[in-house]
Amino acid sequence: MASVTASSVKFSPASSLIKQNQVSNLKKASLSFTGNGFQSHRLPVRRFRIACAAKPETVNKVVDIVRKQLALPDDRDVCGESKFSVLGADSLDTVEIVMGLEEEFGICVEEESAQSISTVQEAADLIEELLEKK
Amino acid sequence: MASTVKYLRVPPNSASLEEARRRVFDFFKTACRSIPTIMEIYTIDDVVTPSQLRSIVASEIRKNAHISNPKVIDMLLFKGTEELNNIVEHSKQRHHILGQYVLGRPEITPDSATKDQGSEYLKNFFRSNYF
Repeated sequence: MASVTASSVKFSPASSLIKQNQVSNLKKASLSFTGNGFQSHRLPVRRFRIACAAKPETVNKVVDIVRKQLALPDDRDVCGESKFSVLGADSLDTVEIVMGLEEEFGICVEEESAQSISTVQEAADLIEELLEKK
Repeated sequence: MASTVKYLRVPPNSASLEEARRRVFDFFKTACRSIPTIMEIYTIDDVVTPSQLRSIVASEIRKNAHISNPKVIDMLLFKGTEELNNIVEHSKQRHHILGQYVLGRPEITPDSATKDQGSEYLKNFFRSNYF
């Protein structure tokens, strides 16, 4: 009972403070319903989607392979955010780039993760993830 | 069976163009993954690199990129798988591989492309029967 009252007290400051971050509200709810009545005053860190960014040299290697595969001239800027379709690659080119990356880094990309790659940055992140798992 | 390529027991028809497309990509991936084996069997390391072989396979697939009938795509995939199997289980020989896939491509053998073969008529004649 005491914990329920504690939880009812807790809800109002949470809702007034962080209105837009729905996830943090839920987090507060889950914390209070564990029943230990532990008032954690630590505000949840606003979760930005900083995907652990791939190392720059990985990104550079990916950019090299993409550039060679699509035969891009050197002045065409390829950065982490460029999508393959914008650079002029059709779906077969994308698969070929993925196979080139597989050979270069010695990894094995799964079927479903290969389908979801659409930008250079995603490819580099996937490579980092697979290299860590090895 | 020395074949490293799993002989795809595909059902006779792809249900849709999307499934046929997926099968094409699977075939391409299988081919790319058997490229190191092929290079070792036929000792073509000094003639081509793996990435050139990859682009050769891709260009062969792209030749039929305009097809929209899933049954025709299935048939082409069947033939492609058969060809890949033949190559991987060493049923072919080095000159087959080189002649059919490596030579005559301007990006790999640049010197032969500039050879002067005579008049325009002769060039057409060498290219095909009908012109």
